[in-house]
Amino acid sequence: MPFSSYLDSQRENARALIAALAEYCDYVSVLGSDVSSTVARADRTGMSVKEGEGECGFVVKMQRGGAFYEYSTNDISGEKKALAAKILEAVACDETLKTVKSSTVKDPAVKKDFCRENDFNDYSDAQLLALCRDLSDELCKKDEKVLNAMAGISLLTVSKLFVSSKKELSQYYGWANGFLFVIYSDGRTVQARKGACGSSMKEIEKELRENVDAVLDLARHLVTATPIEPGVYDVVTDPSITGLIAHEAFGHGVEMDQFVKDRALAKQYVGKYVASPITDMHDGAAATLSVASYFFDDDGVEAHDTQIIEKGILKAGLSDLASAAQLGTAPTGNGRRDNYRRKAYARMTNTFFCPGKDKLEDMIASIDHGYMLFQTNNGMEDPKNWQIQCTAEYGIEIEHGKLTDRYVSPVVMSGYVPDLLKSISMISDAFVIEGSGYCGKGYKEWVRVSDGGPHLKVRVKLG
Amino acid sequence: MKKLIGLLNQNTGVDGWKIAEMKTRSYELFFVHEKLETVRSTDTVSTSVTVYVDHDGARGDSSFAVTAAQSDKDLEKAIVRAAARAKLAFNQPYRLPRGGREPERALPTNLTDLDEKETAAKIARAVFSADCPAGGSINALEVFLYTDTFRVINSEGIDKQEKKHRVMIEAIPTFTDEKESVELYEDYRFTVFDEEKLKNEISGKLREVYDRHVAAKPPVPMKANIVLRPHEIEELLSDLAGDLHYASVYMHANLHKIGDDLQKDGKGDKLTVTMRGKTPGSECSSFFDGDGTELRDTTVIRDGVCAANFGSDRFGQYLGVETPSGELRCMDVNAGTLDGAELKSAPYIECASLSGIQVDLFNDYIGGEIRLAYYFDGEKTVPVTGITMSGKLSEALASLRLSDKKVTQGAYEGPDKMLLPGFSIL
Repeated sequence: MPFSSYLDSQRENARALIAALAEYCDYVSVLGSDVSSTVARADRTGMSVKEGEGECGFVVKMQRGGAFYEYSTNDISGEKKALAAKILEAVACDETLKTVKSSTVKDPAVKKDFCRENDFNDYSDAQLLALCRDLSDELCKKDEKVLNAMAGISLLTVSKLFVSSKKELSQYYGWANGFLFVIYSDGRTVQARKGACGSSMKEIEKELRENVDAVLDLARHLVTATPIEPGVYDVVTDPSITGLIAHEAFGHGVEMDQFVKDRALAKQYVGKYVASPITDMHDGAAATLSVASYFFDDDGVEAHDTQIIEKGILKAGLSDLASAAQLGTAPTGNGRRDNYRRKAYARMTNTFFCPGKDKLEDMIASIDHGYMLFQTNNGMEDPKNWQIQCTAEYGIEIEHGKLTDRYVSPVVMSGYVPDLLKSISMISDAFVIEGSGYCGKGYKEWVRVSDGGPHLKVRVKLG
Repeated sequence: MKKLIGLLNQNTGVDGWKIAEMKTRSYELFFVHEKLETVRSTDTVSTSVTVYVDHDGARGDSSFAVTAAQSDKDLEKAIVRAAARAKLAFNQPYRLPRGGREPERALPTNLTDLDEKETAAKIARAVFSADCPAGGSINALEVFLYTDTFRVINSEGIDKQEKKHRVMIEAIPTFTDEKESVELYEDYRFTVFDEEKLKNEISGKLREVYDRHVAAKPPVPMKANIVLRPHEIEELLSDLAGDLHYASVYMHANLHKIGDDLQKDGKGDKLTVTMRGKTPGSECSSFFDGDGTELRDTTVIRDGVCAANFGSDRFGQYLGVETPSGELRCMDVNAGTLDGAELKSAPYIECASLSGIQVDLFNDYIGGEIRLAYYFDGEKTVPVTGITMSGKLSEALASLRLSDKKVTQGAYEGPDKMLLPGFSIL
């Protein structure tokens, strides 16, 4: 089993530390993380293969009298009584500060080891770099207007160990991302990109090779792109923009730590219509297979599949251990950390709208004048006031029910969330999840997320 | 560290190396409304090793992290693997920065001698005690106190260490009445704690969130002049400066080159932007960068014209720069000529809170969704919300105006207002 041998060797240290802290706390757990990645990239000016993002360390989580306490360290070896005393001293605080009330965390007896194998070891460093060089060279050779072309691959492997008084969980899984990025000049300079992701490097290689012509074709069109005339339009979204809407519109809005802080309007709308009645939306590490498909979260809660919206009605939110303990609900397996040095918050995982029954061609045909939007650039949430801003890399004009050759870029979509979601009038039968995104909470706490779904037909403000 | 250096020096396949070590201690308080939800403390080290291998007329590099999981044998293996990876890479040769062992330097701060637990509680109390209109509150507050010690050592003799005390606060000013509840998001990052200044800033934001409550959507569509505040000015100018980074130029990823006039035929104030190593009170300030290169302030845009590039030693060498600037994270912008009276001579919309300013150099675009702005219609000023702005970046730059008053905010030191004409408002 490819689970970290280091974390495996730390099980006894974790158990002993928990025992040493247990007499001072209502609940204690230790999360160990051993995450590493290999990143290969090449362009016409340079190349490298090296370690990318990673972490190796522990976070001790304690609950006492309603409040939570955490201590992050690289090392939990050594004499445990002394370490426990050091931890308790480190998290001590001004005793005049009032603390929240929360129910004591439930700690059911579970012992499980999870593993999702991958084919990453089938690729040597030399093969990964050679693939990137091949792709970059091919893109540069295909068109003299390519100023530079970059190809990159990232192979991430995650080992996590969770130990509490009664629980002992371990997991190992991996995720691969690849990208093609072209800088193209033909009268003006533009950038075009295509990505690929999955748990199989073989599939990534295939998809990247297949996308060489597509990214060049996109670049050739983007040099012709014009700004969009600001206005309200009928729009068809590709699955990545659909996912961005799901993420920004109602993903952040149902992170239940925001419920605790009265920072989410959604708290008052559970059981009410918030979207068109043909809309269903899910989030969960167990909801689909993508970049956020872990087996248990950073609080040691097993992965869930949460239905957020059912037939347009808001059903449930996403919680970490601390927010669930304050709300008196069961945690949903959405407690995630940027890394072991950071706090766990309620976070999205894989967030998506469910497919419908419409055909994409019928959706386009139903629009007299509007746009089809493609490729997520970025988005911003506003869960308290339900404003939304989503930026698409580009759009293609639809005229008399047909896609034209007229590109617009960039396209910023904004508006009031319920107006946008209630305007969903058609949902395609396609279903694509994009697993190459990162999501911040405010402007920090970055975690990997996926989102997606089918194509949506909406009416929205573009500018 | 000695053992690691010994192992690196012993490996005959390694032609150069760099070790970057960051030790971080933190103390963190998380409040829900005014009650403490979580207390955190961290005491961690992250160490990254880069090895350089010269081969076939090229130089390759590869890096790895040193963790508590690694035994000495594991470290030896990691070095061998990194050297093998470096040998796969064919990059234009470059030298590592040279230097000697230097005493630790520390950025100016008043946090050094303060007890971190007391200081964190004091900061929280300062935020919660800020003047507040009836119905206003801080719904959530996070306080982070960090002590970072960064050390970089390389095979060319560099051994530098820098200590930084910094604070990060995330506060959510909220206004609630029987009709609705609205909020704004604010974060503050500083190395010098000034209780009164913090209280005043929080009070200002609590007044603004009340304004968001009473804000209305103005008649749209319309054309308007837009006023940006320091946070958005910095974001816009960072995008322009980033285009002048050595690495962007070397990789043909830049749009502008030295000598390009960003404000061609413009009649506004001319922009002069200097990337710097330090801005007083900013957590982005440093003496040297991740390679150990001493930071040299560099004016990248002078009187509206692209004047210089900046960035890391390696990419500076590639461009033939004699003394590369190092990675600069702070910014100074010249003041302009726009005073309060002239600003009030025509209508404008002053953005107080945006979802995020969208700047796209390649598509000549600037825009964003406005959460709170102040609309001056020529006579009176009213708060507005629910609108989107968009414009052509080149046209906005050509005729921009800069206020005559400079402020320091985070890593930015420059005009407190930038006036950009002719935006579409929807």
